[in-house]
Amino acid sequence: MDIKGKLHELLLEDKVAIHLNIANGFFDVNKSVVLTWILLAVLAVLILFLTSGMRVHQPGKRQLFVEYATQWLRGIVGGILGEEAIGYRDFITTILVFIGGANLMGLFGIVPPTMDLNVTIAVAAVAIVMVEAAGIRALGLKGWFKGFAKPMAVITPMNILELAIRPLSLCMRLFGNILGATVIMELIRMAVPIVVPLVFSLYFDIFDGLIQAYVFVFLTSLYIREAVE
Amino acid sequence: MDLVALGAGIAVFTGIGAGIGIGIATAKAVDAVARQPEAESKIMKLLLLGCALAEATAIYGFVVAIMIKFA
Repeated sequence: MDIKGKLHELLLEDKVAIHLNIANGFFDVNKSVVLTWILLAVLAVLILFLTSGMRVHQPGKRQLFVEYATQWLRGIVGGILGEEAIGYRDFITTILVFIGGANLMGLFGIVPPTMDLNVTIAVAAVAIVMVEAAGIRALGLKGWFKGFAKPMAVITPMNILELAIRPLSLCMRLFGNILGATVIMELIRMAVPIVVPLVFSLYFDIFDGLIQAYVFVFLTSLYIREAVE
Repeated sequence: MDLVALGAGIAVFTGIGAGIGIGIATAKAVDAVARQPEAESKIMKLLLLGCALAEATAIYGFVVAIMIKFA
């Protein structure tokens, strides 16, 4: 058993999938990006399949399932967002589906794209830009700037720091959890190749991945709700 | 002496905080369910969320340890 070699392979392997001969490989396409493309293609095909042939009268089983699932996801997200920020519901649901799908890729023996720090940083950046944009849209630029001095003027530096801390904690939490789960799963697979990984996979791949997607979405919704108030 | 391994080991001490936090959260959740069994599903949801948030500190320690060791 070579634990060290396995860890090296997981953490320090060459992450470039497509090498482009421009600007010293600055525009190289990483494996995680290709995996994200695959995920997007799968999700797109799935959505096209599920939403095809919708009818107002006498809906089929597939349509009922889609409607139920959509209502359920929207209900989860809408409950956190509250009345005022309900317009951001579909954006948040999209993030939930994307991160959930990405985390579940570990089930198929693929390294999840969320294990790459670049992907989680991108998602966290999108989320924080959306949070601040929501704040500016709801309060106006002046109101948004005034929001930094709330509830007291003394706390302003903290509020400005939060602009950086929030996305950092969002992306690090997601990245760390998925990295930890993948490393532990690989180690278990190395120690006992049969049956045992199946049980642990239930927790580390399915439960942990979905919980982390939910936590990410929960925090983003909470920030948006706080920003528009 | 390889002090890098020692540093990584110290970084993983963040697990103590997460353990205590999740322990307290679970204890309170058990308390709450014992008082109001009908609110179990709501408490369960909050507990899972709280645990995932408390776990984050341990994960930060783990990430730092991995970074010290490999990056």
